Amino acid sequence: MKVTANYLLPGATVLSVLLLAGCAGTSHQSPVVEQGTPAPRGSRSPAGPVSSPAQLPSVPVGQPVEPTAVTRPASPATGGQPPAVVALLDRAEQQANTGDLDAAAVTLERALRIDPRNAILWHHLATVRLAEGEAVEAEQLAAKSNSLAAGNHSLQAKNWELIAQARHYRGDPSGARAAEQRARTLGPR
Amino acid sequence: MAKRRKRRRGKSRKKTAQRRSILLRVLVILALVLAGYLVYLDYQVRHQFDGKRWSLPARVYARPLELYAGLPMTAEELSAELSALHYHPVSSPRQPGEVSRNRNVFHFISRPFVHWDGEEPSHNIRLTIANDAVQQLVDARSGRPVSLVRLDPVMVGSFYPAHNEDRVLVRLDEVPKELTSALIAVEDRGFYDHHGIAPLSILRALLANIRAGTVVQGGSTLSQQLVKNFYLSSERTLTRKLNEAVMALMLEWHYDKDEILEAYLNEVYLGQDGNRSVHGFGLASHFYFERPLAELSIEQFALLVGLVKGPSYYNPRRHPERARERRNLVLGVMAELGLVTADEAVRAKSRKLGVSRYRRTAINTFPAFLDLVRRQLRRDYREEDLTTEGLRIFTTLNPQVQWQVEQVLDARLGRLEAGRGLDAGTLQGAIVVTSIQGGEVLALAGDRNPKFAGFNRALDAVRQVGSVIKPAVYLAALEQPSRYTLASLLDDGPLTWKAPNGKTWSPRNYDLQFHDRVPLYRSLAHSYNVATARLGLDLGLPTVVSTLKRLGVEADLQPYPSLVLGAAELTPLQVTQMYQTLASGGFRTPIRAIRAVLNADRMPLQSYPLRVTAAVRPAPAYLVTTGLRHAVREGTGRSLYQVLPASMDIAGKTGTTDDLRDSWFAGYTGDRLAVVWVGRDDNQSTGLTGSTGSLLVWRDLFAHFGEQGALQSALEGIEYQRIDTATGLLGDGGCQDTVELPFIQGSAPVEMSPCAGAVSPLQRPVDWFKELFE
Repeated sequence: MKVTANYLLPGATVLSVLLLAGCAGTSHQSPVVEQGTPAPRGSRSPAGPVSSPAQLPSVPVGQPVEPTAVTRPASPATGGQPPAVVALLDRAEQQANTGDLDAAAVTLERALRIDPRNAILWHHLATVRLAEGEAVEAEQLAAKSNSLAAGNHSLQAKNWELIAQARHYRGDPSGARAAEQRARTLGPR
Repeated sequence: MAKRRKRRRGKSRKKTAQRRSILLRVLVILALVLAGYLVYLDYQVRHQFDGKRWSLPARVYARPLELYAGLPMTAEELSAELSALHYHPVSSPRQPGEVSRNRNVFHFISRPFVHWDGEEPSHNIRLTIANDAVQQLVDARSGRPVSLVRLDPVMVGSFYPAHNEDRVLVRLDEVPKELTSALIAVEDRGFYDHHGIAPLSILRALLANIRAGTVVQGGSTLSQQLVKNFYLSSERTLTRKLNEAVMALMLEWHYDKDEILEAYLNEVYLGQDGNRSVHGFGLASHFYFERPLAELSIEQFALLVGLVKGPSYYNPRRHPERARERRNLVLGVMAELGLVTADEAVRAKSRKLGVSRYRRTAINTFPAFLDLVRRQLRRDYREEDLTTEGLRIFTTLNPQVQWQVEQVLDARLGRLEAGRGLDAGTLQGAIVVTSIQGGEVLALAGDRNPKFAGFNRALDAVRQVGSVIKPAVYLAALEQPSRYTLASLLDDGPLTWKAPNGKTWSPRNYDLQFHDRVPLYRSLAHSYNVATARLGLDLGLPTVVSTLKRLGVEADLQPYPSLVLGAAELTPLQVTQMYQTLASGGFRTPIRAIRAVLNADRMPLQSYPLRVTAAVRPAPAYLVTTGLRHAVREGTGRSLYQVLPASMDIAGKTGTTDDLRDSWFAGYTGDRLAVVWVGRDDNQSTGLTGSTGSLLVWRDLFAHFGEQGALQSALEGIEYQRIDTATGLLGDGGCQDTVELPFIQGSAPVEMSPCAGAVSPLQRPVDWFKELFE
């Protein structure tokens, strides 16, 4: 089932890889995946209803993470993310890099058990689900991320962009336009 | 005469020929029968061996403990977890499964384990706990910090088939050489040379036994023993012996030695655990030593090998002396054959048996939770698969929480009975604890006796819910911000509702008073029935029903007016689902007890991924949570804070039904949700309200949990305003009673209350300061 989804959404696969690479934290040493990295085996150039990866940039490094919703003090050395979560984000990134989206999702869920109100983790999970072709699920997860991202307009904008893509994918262009509009009003990308 | 004789001779010749031909026929038939029988035996041998050799019960695991700096956990909790995992206390850990503890510093070597998402290798870890949290986690050898370590999970149960056999399957290459060589030395020295039966070895065994003056060796080969265990009954007849020999030969014909040895290692009967028989060395190792085979020492191998001859006669727990003699005899044989040096054998012989204290193995450690797991699995698996396929089921159970739940429920019910003069055992209860965002069931109690495996009240007690249903009514209202806000004044004056059939309904408040006009949040906090009934009727019952459905309540809900005061009958689990959606900000997550299922080869069969559905908009859900926060700060739940620290951020709701039959409390923090029901199985009065019964259970539980994450404190599109509670308008220090309330943007009142603005601006900061210190 997942194979078919990847086949349908090669662009999204690449996209999730880029996203994970960009968001995994600030100071930790993670293999850097540059923009334009060759797609994982089996992927092709962006096709299908999903817009190109360039339209969905990563969360800027150093972006404060849901400043109001963090319940436990996080280590300042990791830019707001607890080291355990950073380690798992690294792993999810690697898994997404090799095209193993199922595994990346499982790893993100594991990170969410440690840091359940981390809006960025929810956003990543949404991205992976979209790459897997689960547009409905992706939209719900992005909404969940937004509900935890008070004050983080940049992340909210990204979630709305993801919702727009999910709606495009589901064949709801007017819904997609509305979501794009929301993303734009949330300010500069 | 001659003619006659001739004739007779001819006749007899004919007869002989006839006889011969009959004999021949009989022989042919016999040969055919024999051949058929052999074919049948051969089929039996191969079918059993190739086909499903063993039916393996499904194993159920708790959540694995994830250790990382910052994890809230006391040293005692970590100690309890490691003990449940059978980590052995030593002075200096040298192999997986060993731990040393010096006050708050733990040093342990974790066991490698194949989780549902891959293998976690062994880690050598030094861990420090300070202020009830993991402070530091380092690799004990390099001293480098480790970000995250996942332990092996506690096994909490198994789903057994009717015949109660159990095994921990081992592959030959996983079995230490010492064990196999000792086994072969003692049980079948010629194993690698014979073809299934070994007349010489019978002789050799006889001699060895004479020499030892006792029975050291049996004459049966391992293949014969395996055949006996595998296919035949235990009767001692010549036919059986013959069958055994023939089948042993066939077994050897079809399979190589290693295959036979591996099967033997997993099949041999090695003990009895209650009504469960212990088969194979893998399980025996856990049963006698609480360790996997790979962690055993030489004398422990010797003991297990010694047991083959008579697990009951040499039972090391019941007959330690016999067991020791037998073990040392095996060690002697091993030394004789050079499998160990003489010195090693002497040292090993002097050691203790090292057998753990008998604990009934965890078939049914947490029956109520396992019941839930089983029900969730039945959607995807046949009962037969659960008991035979060796599935590995990874659940969400948190043993720490489960232990606390079990301890708290029975203790508190006992105190409640004593306080009310009720006979001990009159009250019953149920608890469901879940994680807020993931909807994972952390613990479950279906009876005050945690070992009781019968009626599971958490899943099956369908009881009136009373006021715990009210948040749904208020949610339905707050979803219409143009009509209702937390500050809206509700009418709590007398109400009589006329049904179409002419009957009337006049709800009353618990305190039998009417409260005139009350702000909406306060009506919820104090659980005013009349105001709530009027609100529900204004909203329309279908609206309330549909809100309940969106929250995830899957039950037949009748749109009678009494529904809004909790006339509905739900199980504790259904109530939990409703609060789950509220607690997680309006996102419904089906309550899960299972994370993943692997097959016996540790390949993923099924995962149960985290799914969320935006069932309610986050803003109204946030407002309801605020109302429920007020309920425990100033309303029906305020006795929580007689015990819990004021810093604990809680939202919760009591529920009481007619004649005090049911006592409910549903409450959540930023981390956990717990729903508690207390009542009687005969549905008589308990004499308890929600706050004098279930709330106390909940309070005990969260006192055990310790520090909890705060409730969500901000949401996009929410603004705060100070409100005069008398008018529901904007207020300030000039008003008698004000409260800061959240509003969906644009819905807050814009009008100032008459009391506001009377104070000069200069005085206001002073008042503000005063409030800060009050």
